[in-house]
Amino acid sequence: MFQFILKRLGLAILVAFTVSFISFSLLFLAGDPAAALAGETASGEDIEALRHLYGFDRPMMVQYGDWLFSALRGDFGESYYFKLPVAGLIFDRLSITMTLGVCGIAFALLTAVPLGVAAAIRPNSLIDRVALFLSVAGQALPSFWFGLILIVVFSIKLRWLPPSGTATWQHFIMPTIVLGYYAMPAIMRLTRAGMLEVLSSDYIRTARAKGAPEMRVMFKHALRNAIIPVVSLAAVQMGFMLGGSIVVESIFALHGAGYLAWESIGRNDLPTVQALILIFAMFYIVFTFLADVLNAWLDPRMRSS
Amino acid sequence: MADKASGTLYAGFTKELENVDSYFNSSREGVVMQRALWDGLIYRDPITNEYKGNLAESWTWVDDTTLEFKLRQGVTFHNGEPFNADDVVFTVNFVADEANGVKTQRNVNWMKSAEKIDDYTVRIHLKKKFPAAIEFLSGPVSMYPNEYYAEVGPSGMGLKPVGTGPYKAVEVVPGQHFVLVKNENYHDSPKGQPSIEKVDIRTIPDVNTQIAELFSGSLDLIWQVPADQAQKLEQMGGFTVANESTMRVGYVSMDAAGRSGMDPNPFTDVRVRKAVNHAIDRQAIVDNLLKGKSQVVNTPCFPSQFGCAQDITVYDYDPAKAKALLAEAGYPDGFETDIYAYRNRDYAEALVSYLSEVGIKANLKYMQYSAIRELNMKGEVPFNFSTWGSYSINDASAMVSQFFKLGSLDDARDEQVAADLDMADTSTDPATRIEYYTKALQRITDQAYWVPLFSYNTNYVFKTDIDYTPTPDEVLRFTTMSWK
Amino acid sequence: MSDAMTDPLLAEIVGPTPGQMLRRRIFGHQGLLIGGTVVALLVLVAIFAPLLAPHDPYAQSLVARMKPPVFLGGTWEHPLGTDHLGRDYLSRLIYGARVSLLIGLVTAVISGLIGSVMGVCAGYFGGRVDAVVTFLINVRLAMPVVLVALAVVAILGGSLTVMISVLGLLLWDRFAVVLRASTRQVREREYVAAAQAIGASTPRILLAEIMPNIVNNLIVVVTLEMAHAILLEAALSFLGLGVQPPTPSWGLMVSEGKNMMLFEPWLVMIPGAVLFVLVLGINLMGDGLRDVAAPENRS
Repeated sequence: MFQFILKRLGLAILVAFTVSFISFSLLFLAGDPAAALAGETASGEDIEALRHLYGFDRPMMVQYGDWLFSALRGDFGESYYFKLPVAGLIFDRLSITMTLGVCGIAFALLTAVPLGVAAAIRPNSLIDRVALFLSVAGQALPSFWFGLILIVVFSIKLRWLPPSGTATWQHFIMPTIVLGYYAMPAIMRLTRAGMLEVLSSDYIRTARAKGAPEMRVMFKHALRNAIIPVVSLAAVQMGFMLGGSIVVESIFALHGAGYLAWESIGRNDLPTVQALILIFAMFYIVFTFLADVLNAWLDPRMRSS
Repeated sequence: MADKASGTLYAGFTKELENVDSYFNSSREGVVMQRALWDGLIYRDPITNEYKGNLAESWTWVDDTTLEFKLRQGVTFHNGEPFNADDVVFTVNFVADEANGVKTQRNVNWMKSAEKIDDYTVRIHLKKKFPAAIEFLSGPVSMYPNEYYAEVGPSGMGLKPVGTGPYKAVEVVPGQHFVLVKNENYHDSPKGQPSIEKVDIRTIPDVNTQIAELFSGSLDLIWQVPADQAQKLEQMGGFTVANESTMRVGYVSMDAAGRSGMDPNPFTDVRVRKAVNHAIDRQAIVDNLLKGKSQVVNTPCFPSQFGCAQDITVYDYDPAKAKALLAEAGYPDGFETDIYAYRNRDYAEALVSYLSEVGIKANLKYMQYSAIRELNMKGEVPFNFSTWGSYSINDASAMVSQFFKLGSLDDARDEQVAADLDMADTSTDPATRIEYYTKALQRITDQAYWVPLFSYNTNYVFKTDIDYTPTPDEVLRFTTMSWK
Repeated sequence: MSDAMTDPLLAEIVGPTPGQMLRRRIFGHQGLLIGGTVVALLVLVAIFAPLLAPHDPYAQSLVARMKPPVFLGGTWEHPLGTDHLGRDYLSRLIYGARVSLLIGLVTAVISGLIGSVMGVCAGYFGGRVDAVVTFLINVRLAMPVVLVALAVVAILGGSLTVMISVLGLLLWDRFAVVLRASTRQVREREYVAAAQAIGASTPRILLAEIMPNIVNNLIVVVTLEMAHAILLEAALSFLGLGVQPPTPSWGLMVSEGKNMMLFEPWLVMIPGAVLFVLVLGINLMGDGLRDVAAPENRS
């Protein structure tokens, strides 16, 4: 077990370094950051001065090493746009993205798991078909379009929910749904498949044969076993979700990290974009690592693979 | 809920303001905050264009490069620091020093230094003759408290701004949220006394969301509303929709000097440039897309700017003539090129469509302003739909001289034009200036170096219980707003 | 025959041929039929766009902007109305099918090639090759796709080519994962061992023995990734960093219509709905193909 965790940890760290290098080099190719920094009125000399000031004239590997070393200490440099430390900027906005991510995954779990269980209890029934259709339709629904429709219906026509901002919990309802529904199909299918498998297993048959109440069999025995892979899938989905919150945050004007990323790309604010790519990647890496450990802990067979 | 009873006006910004410190941002939102929080030495009445003393009571030209100011007494900054000559000297010397990295260098780089004569008398020394000095001092150059600024610097000023202006900032969340309250001790300024107690500004990037917030009552005022939405809101009623023109001018520049390495380069032929001018129905674009107080412009400057002659050579919309000119130039089937654009994608699309009707296939490259500018400086942009706001400076030098004096952005590279503009820019005699600007503009239009397109406008939409008349300089002034 | 029906053993022997079974499964599968029909229709629309479109999708008329569709009081001149530059909405939708399908197809081919090669090599050779591929898959999965794609398009400028290359280079992960797993399964079968024993070359084994047995899975992933690419293109175009106007892309149409969403919601509804139907169709088809190709894997 310990060895397994160590191995996974090593892989995670290696992945993190590789991603950091890719994100750094990707944006390093973005043309002349000094010209972007200088703005509308700068002359050629202004740009040259800035290039030197920020060290853009040094070799790329030197700049990368410099950046990585600072980043490891939590210093992502200064935003070109805001002239403030990137770490602080992101930290302020990360809470919104995290809130959204947690709400989104909770929403997905709370809707998809019951649906999956219900579908597994009565395979090929109406509810199974509805669940299947919802999962296929859910994957086909463009989130930006879905978000706009929700705004038109619930904010403009019905006036039930505020269209943007983060002031109250009501503000989070629509973004949560739009972010969460995309993770639903996968969770639903996995729950259903897991339940089907567990329900046909010997010990459930034994439990039933012993005359345990059906509800007890379902929830105490079956669901508890079927939920393990679902939880680790949810962790992975959460990592994906945070990276995908850009679209949702831009539609609902949530000033979270995803929105900051979008705006920073438009503003050519390299330090912010680099830091955000790295941070989103880190979330994914951490969540997958946790999911792996959880899996291995609950299911010893996994440790060997 | 936002209304008159609460005394708070809720307003929406579209763009995230990078830094409230007015010397370290270059956006419209920044100008709005600057006018509310700080004062300049001089003030230009946005309606009559008359210059009045603000933090200075009077000023005189000592010589061509020295201005002397008598300062107003008894003014204090929001933090209680008294305003005097030390503040002016500190501010000017700080911003004029290029090493301090003021973002819009053009606003300050004409000043050399400031010198204290006594507590309420200062001299500002210019690097060279600069007739527009008064205009700049009444606009972007505002006065900062020396002790405070020396201590906190631009980033501290951005988080906790301190000025002498009609409003004080009580809350700043960078880029997102600003709360201003009325300055009860505001001096007797030509800006007038603020009336609205509190202004709460949120950044909401999406116009639809802004409008939805307006419907739901959580915003009182939005601005820069696109023409179509403003028109619908006006038809709906319940809101005041005010339209004002701005100094921003849209134009298409062409690689007349042949810098872009296109081979053959059609734009080096004046007949092709004329054809492009004839191909675009500017009036239809103004009438259907920009609407409001926008107008077709015929020269590379804004009509109200000093020296900006309009009725020189005018190219009317005539696609047949455009095709004939193209054929004459050796392109009977047109040609293919890239057209760059950084804003108003719909206008750019309309231009592309007009060009394709006369056979010019222009592939749209929609990019960041800074990226296009960089390419343009290297001379790699053959065809460019761009705009210029002249920093709201009411003088033709703020536009035409920026682009036609052989600088890296000059695609025409016409020595004669540059020489005429140089005469006009440096002369202090108004008649001479007009004569030479007209000469330069005449040559530019005869050679059809650009397609000057149209001027922009801004729509302001606000609740009917707010009394406000927007001004043509695209600056939102909370000071002149009041509840009805 | 009646005996055959009662005796399970006999039924297995004289039962339908594999071909018949496949046909039965295909025509017995509602999802596959519906999805296949939708996709086939839209492919036909894309191919015959010039014949079907009532107007030139690029012809603008600034005096006829945002005319409503016929069911909202418009005229048959423009059955689905006109956009913000007075271009015929129906014609742009029809040509938009070309953009979406082209992006979906080419992206799936590029990412399919990259992912298949990686997955098959990892699955077949195992060991160090597998470790490297697994590592690359992990790196790729850790990169936030939307963010990276946005950044790259912002740098290079949006166009159809850039869009397809970026998506193609980003979306190969599922191919690699699925084909790695299926190759590992197939590798253990006797006929592979037999081929190795008689000294067949590695490329031959990969092409003749492995590929035919994993091609079903490949086709399923191709369809699902097509859908994924189409949605991503639409999302990027919606955010303003996708294909460039005046190209009629559905995502771009939603983005351009969004400005007037509160007043003319149909500008957003129509292209969004078409996009939804296409992606739904492809997904149904992909799911159906999976069920038909490997019923035992059905979940």
